[in-house]
Amino acid sequence: MRCLTLACVICAIGMPASADLEALRDDHILPRYAAFAEATDHLRAAATGDCMPGSVLPAYHDAYDTWVRIDHVRFGPVETQDAALSIAFWPDPKDRVGKAMARLTSARDEAVTDAAAFSQVSVAAQGFTALERLLTEPQPDPDYACSFTRAIARHLAQTASDVSKEWRDEYGAVLVSAGAAGNTVFPGAEDAERAAYTSISTALEFLHDQRLGRPLGTFDRPRPNRAEARRSERSARHVLLNLSSLKAMTNAFADVPLERINKAFDAAIERAEVLDDPAFAGVSDPAKRLKIEVLQRAVRDLQVVMAEDVGRALGISAGFNSLDGD
Amino acid sequence: MPSRRKVISGALAAATLSGPLWADVGNPTHLSAARTPEGAYILCGLRADGSLAFSVPLPDRGHAAAAHPSLSQAVAFARRPGVFAVVLDCATGISQHRIQAPAGRHFYGHGAFSRDGKTLFTTENDIDTGAGRIGVWDAADGYRRIADLSSNGIGPHEIIRLPNSDILAIANGGIRTHPASGRDKLNVDTMQPNLTLMDAEGRVRDTAVLPAELHQNSLRHIAAFPDGRVACAFQWQGDPFAAPSIAGVYAPEDGLQLAPMSDQTLRGLDGYAGSVAVLGTEHMAVTFPRGGLMQRINVKTDETLDLWRGDVCGVAPARWGGLATDGLGGVQRVEAHGFTKVAQYNLAFDNHLVAVGASS
Repeated sequence: MRCLTLACVICAIGMPASADLEALRDDHILPRYAAFAEATDHLRAAATGDCMPGSVLPAYHDAYDTWVRIDHVRFGPVETQDAALSIAFWPDPKDRVGKAMARLTSARDEAVTDAAAFSQVSVAAQGFTALERLLTEPQPDPDYACSFTRAIARHLAQTASDVSKEWRDEYGAVLVSAGAAGNTVFPGAEDAERAAYTSISTALEFLHDQRLGRPLGTFDRPRPNRAEARRSERSARHVLLNLSSLKAMTNAFADVPLERINKAFDAAIERAEVLDDPAFAGVSDPAKRLKIEVLQRAVRDLQVVMAEDVGRALGISAGFNSLDGD
Repeated sequence: MPSRRKVISGALAAATLSGPLWADVGNPTHLSAARTPEGAYILCGLRADGSLAFSVPLPDRGHAAAAHPSLSQAVAFARRPGVFAVVLDCATGISQHRIQAPAGRHFYGHGAFSRDGKTLFTTENDIDTGAGRIGVWDAADGYRRIADLSSNGIGPHEIIRLPNSDILAIANGGIRTHPASGRDKLNVDTMQPNLTLMDAEGRVRDTAVLPAELHQNSLRHIAAFPDGRVACAFQWQGDPFAAPSIAGVYAPEDGLQLAPMSDQTLRGLDGYAGSVAVLGTEHMAVTFPRGGLMQRINVKTDETLDLWRGDVCGVAPARWGGLATDGLGGVQRVEAHGFTKVAQYNLAFDNHLVAVGASS
């Protein structure tokens, strides 16, 4: 056995130019954060008027929709500001949301009347997951629940506005100038492509393992109470919004043949559309469960095609070490 | 007067122990297994400036390597559940010995040399019983198997030798696997990981465990501080969104203590630490490849520095602080302020980076 010559090991690492970062920014990311900022501002206005659940719920649903349409983008201001968890705290196996809310409510903590103070409370109490409980569960202290509702709506509007503004004013330029001298966030063009692709592949994994996998549990032990946003019956809606958003992002950014991936997206979307099981309560019913399992398999197929058609074309493979398990 | 046979075996032993030194193979400071773009597996020697000192082929995917304390000899271990380890002369790339796990055993991917370099210890699974074993091999006699010790637990993964001593530290991960069911975990509900300290004869000096409710925190990787404390990296087997800290320190007087890690940080890591190194006297570096994060933790103050790099996993001490490798082919220096990238290869570096000649 002889040493390999070094030349055959160290090959050039140039990458095919097959990603459109400007389209990703202008056609996908900026408009979606803008919609999120606008909808949460409406939510804030609605809660400031009449804070009763019946009046706030429509704006809650609209605003939550706009978040789920962009929650797959985990790089940028949401990451640097640690914002994602404060916007929606899920999964939550330790019931941090319930505990944080109980702590504030039982103490009638005045943080809910002051935006600066509220930004310092547990992130589990700051976002949609806490707001959902205020709007769907009986509140023993309606006055406090009203202030709490307003505090969350205000916090969401502020966070959305901050994130949207930073993308518009600064981070968007950083993304499209990936690889330029002085760009420390994305020193190479491929670093931005990787961040974008990783967002998509991570979101698909989250969709498969958490959004679908958590309520499914096992056949012998289904876990309907683990479905995301089940109290406001949004679980299936999140899956659908997530799928269509990831399809849109893939089409905006990847300049590679997309026939197969779009077909895989459509197959999953079709299965999500026909579920008719908004909170995934059906995981405990064998017939309904099967439909959710079929959807989960369609997401798995999608993950495979994404890796083969998009990841490979961009020169990106799943992490060697991330997949190792040793 | 020595018998003829003794003279011969003595000569063979001398030959084995008088091979080229590390300086003769281009002065590598570190070793790492890697995969080439063509899908072949190699063992690489890296220099301090990130350049490649040598690369030699491996028969299959490697995991970690054990560097001989003085000779330019490295034992590259197959990835679990491999049954081979290759002793390589890093000067020529020639495999000097192939170590085969005994029938009914497989390796876990790590090993350690005794202080004098004459003995090699390997972590093994006794497949039928699931018992963790430590294989003992005579490096001075053609890597002949000479003994077989209990690891004091199930699923021993990394084994190291504490500095300036012949005390071994063993990370018993607690997870039973069987080659018939691949890498499936067979006892996640009842697993009991521990850190075991033992002498070279297998006498247990200490067994350290976490509180019972954390029994699913599988200890996999360890590194020694100069004073004998042990840095620990865990892999949480429960719900990843309910993971406790997956980094900790063992001290003889305090046992095993987890380092504080924020929920915010933990949520992105999938409960998975890939590798750990001790840098200097008070810092440990833990890599979390699934989160693309390395944390440099000052264990005296709990001060933490977050360093981001996709698929970062291999980390080892170096003169200036540390060196880290990733599955995307990057080699970066770990410095007080962060990562400084020093090289990029079209290779996927495997989990572990091993410092050469760093042990004492």
